Amino acid sequence: MTLAAEETESVISPAGRQLRQGNKAPRPARRWMTLIRREPLAAACLAGIALLVLIALLAPALAPYDPNNNDVLNRLKGPSATFWLGTDELGRDLFSRLLYGARTAVETSFQSVGMALLIGVPLGLLIGYLGGWWDRVAMRVTDIAQSIPSLIFAFAVIAILGRGVNQTAIAVGIVFSIIMLRIARGLMLRERELLYVDAARVGGLSTPRILFREILPNVAGPLIVEAALLLGSAIMLITMLSFLGLGLEASTPDWGSMLDEARKYQVLHPFMALPPGLAIMAAVLLFNFTGDSLRDALMGRRRVAHRKLRQDRRARNAPKAKAPVQDADTVLTVQGLRVSYLSESGKPMEVLSDISLDLHRGETVGLVGESGSGKSTTGMAMVGLLPDTASSSGHVWLGDTDMLTAPAAEAAKRRGPEIAMVFQDPIGSLSPVHTVGQQLIEPMQHHLGLGKEEATRRVIELLEMVGIPNAAQRINDYPHQFSGGMAQRAMIAMALSCRPKMLVADEPTSALDVTVQAQVLKLLGRLSTEFDMAVLLVTHDLGVVSEACDRVVVMYAGEIVEVGKVADVLAKPRHPYTYALLKATPRNEAPAGRLPTIPGTVPPPWDFPRGCRFAPRCAFVKEACTIAPVALVDGVRCVRAGELSLEVGA
Amino acid sequence: MPRLIALRIAMSLLSLFLAASFAFSLVHLSPTDPAILALGDGASEAQRLKLTQELGLDRPILVQLATWFMRVLGGDLGQSIFAHKPVTSMIGDAIPVTLSLLIAASVIAVILGITIGIYAGLRSGSWVDRLVTSGVSASLAIPSFWLALLLAYFFAVKLRILPVAGYTTYAESPSRWVIGLLLPSFALSVHGAAVIARHMRGAVIDVLDSAFINAARARGTPMRVVISRYVFKNALVSVMPIIGIEVAVLLAISTVIEKVFVLPGLGTLMVNAVITSDFPLLQGTILVTATILITVNLMIDIVMGLLDSRIRPQ
Ligand code: SF4
Repeated sequence: MTLAAEETESVISPAGRQLRQGNKAPRPARRWMTLIRREPLAAACLAGIALLVLIALLAPALAPYDPNNNDVLNRLKGPSATFWLGTDELGRDLFSRLLYGARTAVETSFQSVGMALLIGVPLGLLIGYLGGWWDRVAMRVTDIAQSIPSLIFAFAVIAILGRGVNQTAIAVGIVFSIIMLRIARGLMLRERELLYVDAARVGGLSTPRILFREILPNVAGPLIVEAALLLGSAIMLITMLSFLGLGLEASTPDWGSMLDEARKYQVLHPFMALPPGLAIMAAVLLFNFTGDSLRDALMGRRRVAHRKLRQDRRARNAPKAKAPVQDADTVLTVQGLRVSYLSESGKPMEVLSDISLDLHRGETVGLVGESGSGKSTTGMAMVGLLPDTASSSGHVWLGDTDMLTAPAAEAAKRRGPEIAMVFQDPIGSLSPVHTVGQQLIEPMQHHLGLGKEEATRRVIELLEMVGIPNAAQRINDYPHQFSGGMAQRAMIAMALSCRPKMLVADEPTSALDVTVQAQVLKLLGRLSTEFDMAVLLVTHDLGVVSEACDRVVVMYAGEIVEVGKVADVLAKPRHPYTYALLKATPRNEAPAGRLPTIPGTVPPPWDFPRGCRFAPRCAFVKEACTIAPVALVDGVRCVRAGELSLEVGA
Repeated sequence: MPRLIALRIAMSLLSLFLAASFAFSLVHLSPTDPAILALGDGASEAQRLKLTQELGLDRPILVQLATWFMRVLGGDLGQSIFAHKPVTSMIGDAIPVTLSLLIAASVIAVILGITIGIYAGLRSGSWVDRLVTSGVSASLAIPSFWLALLLAYFFAVKLRILPVAGYTTYAESPSRWVIGLLLPSFALSVHGAAVIARHMRGAVIDVLDSAFINAARARGTPMRVVISRYVFKNALVSVMPIIGIEVAVLLAISTVIEKVFVLPGLGTLMVNAVITSDFPLLQGTILVTATILITVNLMIDIVMGLLDSRIRPQ
């Protein structure tokens, strides 16, 4: 879709778009079926509400007795065949009173929420739409009202209006109107920024029309969710009021006053308290579930990853493997690393396939690829920090520890003294509510066993070494007081504080501005020589690679597609993907920080082509490319590697 | 930090002023003449006029507001119409009851809520977590006064190990004061514990997903330290405002709890004031309620400032 087409689309409101596409709208019965299938909980809740309303409407027909019929001979009786739930102190049938109580509950709660919708929503929309002083004054006024809890605010209203069914509903309705007003205003503020509202305004539509015909349909969803939740609160508030004797007249059967009577006969006839309490709880649960499930249906359920803290599944399941013989220079060996996640549909999807790689002391290796290539996952696997939801096979040998299968505590011990990591967002990598110093000294405390003072002294030295002025004072600052560049220097200093043999730097400069980028890269280069470390520089920027790296590993769609010396690969790439990347990178410019653009995007892991994964975007694709997976041969993964001659110079 | 405190105190005073104006305006919003309210329906016209003059009800509203403020600042909240006692002394008797109940319940709610929230959040998706989540939903739907009734029945009527109702002052007997507060404060705390647990769980899950937790693990900090140092404090900071809101809700719910356990607290006074249209008493109790809540929020703001440097004015 072209940009222009997208823009015209957004001039039509989302709800309007649904309407336009709705010409093939399914028949109502079918729509309900779809709802039940897709949102069984929401459907069940709606059915529950329908049932409650039905009971309320039919209470006179369903109730075996008049709820106010006194029968002194049968007072305080337990449940029996004649009185299903027993009787109260006046001999009134509790079951009948319970049914009529449902009627009262439904009536008052719907009244008060209806009032909130009729008053709060239009006012809120209008105030949000007008903005400016209107908004400020209205918000001040509602602030005062909201500083007093709803129930006590309702007290005040009842003191003024007097008691009774309508007064109670109105009191709660006023409280809820204020809540609704604020919600509607909030929704409006968000909606006001959207294009379709501007379009309506420019189109000369009247304000009421814009508010109610254009905007209201688009904010109706969240408002309905809120209304459902308010119905639950209404029942709670109203029963509380009548329990306190502030709500309804004594003749109105109502769950709250039933509980008040039960309170008086607590010792004599405790059963009286059960039915009304359960009824309130059921009704409130029903409305709360309705609100929550509607919200989920509207906004999508938040998936929460299953976390296990104690057990270490990795350690249990992994077969014991022996570390390969590494020469003295090799710091880390990745062997046949595969990582996959469970997709939403429950099928595993492989995001890394068969990654093998060696890193040696003193060398800086660039790991490049677009986003989605798996380069960051590779970095995380090296430090043994794949997310709990990932499953992996293969090995990441750091000396004779396999970071992939080592128990969590064991892997944690290696992070710091043997392998360290710096991230793209240095400020976000620090806890905002702890001082920078407190966090920087941590590795030395845990790994070198230094005391607080000694560790602090060393951190200050390290910070001075990476070029942070006033280090002794700055360690008492909080992360938000640091600039990005300074924070990244501090993170690098921390990473080096236990003299690791290897550093994984995941896009360490891409969040920084250009001049700072160059300084940080230079610093990294200097330190890798000084500390004789292996550095894996994860980046999307070939400019960074040419500046800072000795070797380069190019990744595409979860695979390594080319490996080689930086000078060779950049001058004479052998894989069409590397070639395309190079062509898209502005040349002879200092690290550019621009995303190179190649037409198309990396396919998602569930959609990897069977043959060469780059084939859909490759300018040199031939039939042979798409038949079977391509192997990495002599540092390049391309069927046509031998025949192509890809010169970048031209 | 001193600047933050000064700023917050100034804002609290402003809120207090607004709340007081609200309390004042109650009498004048009522359709009934306050003099009639005070005298009852049988009063003669002459009585009415006399009282109107005495109370200054015939003067301009702003003058009345100013006089009322001067009186309140001088510690005089007027006479209760029905009890014929100074409102200040009635409230003075009730405040210790409500405050001890509220403080006890809030402490229980915060401790329970935070512990449960962290426990579930760290194990999100497990059966323990699902159990906690459903428990929270259920607790939020249980009417507190019903729960209080059930607890009272079980512990006081059935097991006879705790008193059914009534209040013993600390001065009379500290141990009976504590024992008498056990059931009411627990019944009151349940709602708060549920809300705090729900938010704490969410906060823990969010914090666990944040970059700085990953970074802390990447520098080899043991998980137990990551949790006790970083997850805990960051989650706590985001839950603090909820605690403030919840204390206000608990104060409202305490009115029903006071009724169940026959505690002579602020809620009881307030309910009586509404039932008898005792406006001076109602104004006084609302003003005191607002003062308590504004103080709580001030304290929360100051604790937030101590925990999180980002909100301190630079
Ligand atoms: S194998 Fe074929 S499609 Fe894949 S990169 Fe080589 S030439 Fe292009």
